[in-house]
Amino acid sequence: MRARRRENLPGYLFLGPWLLGLMAITAIPMLLSLYLSFTDYDVLTPLSDAQWVGWDNYERMFTSDPAYWHAVRVTVTFALIAVPVKLAAALGVALLLNRAFRGVGLFRGLFYLPSLLGGSVALAIVWVSMFNRDGAFNSLLALVGVNGAPWVNDPTWALETLMLLAVWQFGAPMVIFLAGLKQVPAELYEAAAVDGAGAWRQFAHITLPMLSPVIFFNLVLETIHGFQGFTSAFVLSNGTGGPVDSTLMYTLNLYINGFVRLEMGYASAMAWVFLLAIGLITAVLFRTGRFWVHYSDSEGQ
Amino acid sequence: MSRTTTPRGDARPTRAHRTPPTGHTSRRRLLAAALTLPLLIGAAACGDDSSGSGKTELSVFWWGAEARAALTEQALDLYTRRHPEVTFKKTWQANQGYFDKLATLTAGGNAPDLFQLDDNYIAEYATRNVTLDLTPYKNDGRLDLSKFPESLWQYGVVDGKLAGVASGENTQGLVYDKTLLDRFKLPAPTTGMSWEAFIAWAENVSKTAKVPGTQDPSADYKAFWVWLRQQGKDLYKGKDLGFTEQDATAWFDLWKGARDRGATPTADVIHEGNVTDVSKQLVVTGKAATSWVWANQMPELKKNTKNELGVVAYPGDPSAQWARASMYFSVFRGSPHKDVAVDVMNFLANDPEAGKILGTDRGLPSNLDVRKQVADSVDDPAMKQSIAVEAELAKTFGPPPAVPLPGHSKIKTELTKSAEEVQYGRQTPAAAGAAFHAAAKAAIGQG
Repeated sequence: MRARRRENLPGYLFLGPWLLGLMAITAIPMLLSLYLSFTDYDVLTPLSDAQWVGWDNYERMFTSDPAYWHAVRVTVTFALIAVPVKLAAALGVALLLNRAFRGVGLFRGLFYLPSLLGGSVALAIVWVSMFNRDGAFNSLLALVGVNGAPWVNDPTWALETLMLLAVWQFGAPMVIFLAGLKQVPAELYEAAAVDGAGAWRQFAHITLPMLSPVIFFNLVLETIHGFQGFTSAFVLSNGTGGPVDSTLMYTLNLYINGFVRLEMGYASAMAWVFLLAIGLITAVLFRTGRFWVHYSDSEGQ
Repeated sequence: MSRTTTPRGDARPTRAHRTPPTGHTSRRRLLAAALTLPLLIGAAACGDDSSGSGKTELSVFWWGAEARAALTEQALDLYTRRHPEVTFKKTWQANQGYFDKLATLTAGGNAPDLFQLDDNYIAEYATRNVTLDLTPYKNDGRLDLSKFPESLWQYGVVDGKLAGVASGENTQGLVYDKTLLDRFKLPAPTTGMSWEAFIAWAENVSKTAKVPGTQDPSADYKAFWVWLRQQGKDLYKGKDLGFTEQDATAWFDLWKGARDRGATPTADVIHEGNVTDVSKQLVVTGKAATSWVWANQMPELKKNTKNELGVVAYPGDPSAQWARASMYFSVFRGSPHKDVAVDVMNFLANDPEAGKILGTDRGLPSNLDVRKQVADSVDDPAMKQSIAVEAELAKTFGPPPAVPLPGHSKIKTELTKSAEEVQYGRQTPAAAGAAFHAAAKAAIGQG
C-alpha cells in the first residue's frame, strides 16, 4: 500500500501544474459562481456585502422571467435544427471525400477551412454583411429573380441565418467522420458486394453501424457546442439578442443579465441550470447510445 | 444606507459601511471572505505605489475612438509636465465592452483611480458606492465647479452625492443630410417644428428624394424622453416612471403612422440604425435623410460621410431639451490617490490649455470660460456648427431631469424591443405600450 502511494507521488507531481490551473481557472470560479447564484451579487458591490437570497434566483428564472424561457426556446430550436443538419452535412461530404480521386486533398482542406475560423468574430461580421438586405446573398437571389428577405435584420430569419453559419462550419466533425470511414475494413464491403448488397444497403448495414461510435462522439460534442453558441449571436445583434430577441441564445441572455444589467447572482444561477441541463442532455444521449452505438472491438463483453 | 463622507485615509475599498445582522449570517460571511481572499491577495500583489518617494501613478480609463485617445493623452501629459511626480497609466477602448471591463475591474477591487462614465451607468455606480462623493472637494474648492452651468454639474448628483464631473455638455440633435436635401431643393427641418409637421416634411422627402425622410426614433429613449417632457411628463419621476402605458402607446402610434405614410425606412433598415455606433447611423449610411443623435456627435458623423450635414433640435418645443452631461469623470472610492485624482479631474475641466487640447470631443467644455475660448478658436466646420446649435438651444434649455435611475440600461433595451415589435408588425402599439411599461417598471424594481 505504502509502496503504491510512493509510486503515485511523481504522478501527482507531474499533474501538479495542470491541477493548479484547474483549481484556479475552473474549480474555484465555479464554486464561487455556485455561491453567487444564491446571492444578489451585482458585481459592483463588494462580494462580502452580497445578500444571501436562498433559492430566489432559481425561482425567478422558472416562474417570473419570460425572457428566460424565450432564450431557452431559441437555444433549443437552434440546437435541434443546426446540430442534425450539420452532422448530416459533415457525414455526407465525408462520404464523398472518402474516395480516391484527383485533388481530394484540396477539397478536404477547403471543406475544413471554415471550421478553422471557428466562432470567430470576423466570420460573424462577414455573415452579417452577406445576409442583410443589400448583401451578397440577396444579389445572388436577384439574379434568379427572387427578392430576398433582409435575413439577419428580419426576426423571422435571423436565427436561421445563424444556423446556416453553424452548419457551414461542419469541417471538424467531417474530418472525424473521414477518419472513422477509413477504419471500416474494406473486406466487409467486398463480402457484402459478393452477397449482392447494393450501395444503400452497404451504407445502412455496414457504414452506419461501423461508424456509430464516431457518430455518437460527434453528436455529443456538437450538441454541447450547439447549446453554447454565443459569438455569432453576440456579433450579429450587437450584444442585444435582437432583432426583437430572435437571436437571444441562452448564453447571450446570461451575459446580458450578468454584465449589462449587473445581476451576476441571477446570471450565476442561470449558468448552473445551464450546466445541469447540458449534463442531463449528455447523460440521456449516453443512455440511448447503448441501443445504437456498436463497438466492434468490444465483442468479447 | 449609511454614508461615509470622509474617505478613510489610504484604506483599500472600505467594506465596513454596511453591517449585516449578525448570527446566522456569520458562516456566510466567512465563506464570502474565504472566496474573496484570492481576489484581495491579487489586489494587494498589484501593490500600492511607492508613496514614500512622492511618485504617484494614476490609472485612467475611458472609452472612445483613437482621436479621443490622442487628445486625452496629450492633456494628461500636460498635467505630468506641470506635476512631474504624477504619471498616468492610460487605458482606453471602444464603447462596446467598456462597461464589462470596468465592472470586472471594480469587482476585483482594481477599479481605475479615474474613469469615464455616462448617464446610463452613473446611478448604478453611485448607488453602490463605487464612486467617491466629490461634495467635500467641491465645498473646499479643490474641485472648482463655479464656472459650470448650474444644471450641468447637478446632472452628476445621485442621491445627494456628487458622483461625477461632467466632462462635456451635449443635447439632443436631429442631424440631416444637407447635400441630399439641396440636390432636390427640399427645405431643411427647423428647430421648433411640430412632430406632425416634421413627419409631413419627412414624408415629402421620401417621395421627392426616394430616400426615407427620417430614421424612426420610436426605439430611441432620448427621443421618447424629449417627447414626454414636451407634454409635461418625464421618463422618470422620483424613483418611479414618469409616463403611463397610454403615453408609450401614443408614442408607438405616432411612429406607426409615420411608417404607414412612408416617412421612415422599413423595419429592417430601422433596426440597422438602432445602434449607438456613429458609423451606422442612417444619415451617414445614406439610408435616411435624418438621424436622432447627440449634437456633439456631429464631427464624428461627418467623418463617416462625404455629404454635408446640418443639425437642429428634435421636433416640438425645444425647451424640453436639457444640458446633459455627455459623460463624466468619476473617482474610485477605493483609490489610494483620491486627492490627486480629483486634482486631475479639476485640471481637465478648468485648465484653459487642457480645454484647448480636448476641444469638443466629449461635448461642449463644461467650464463656460473654456467653452467660449474653444468656440472662438475652433476651425472644424462640423464642430463649429454643433457649437452654434447647442449655444442657440442653450438659451431655451429647460431644467434638467434627474439622472436616470439604476435599471436605465435595461429600460433602453426594453424600449428598443417593444418599438421593434411594432415596427416589424408583430405587435400593436397598444400591446407594445403595455409590455414596455410593465417591463420598465420591473427594471427599476417597481414591478
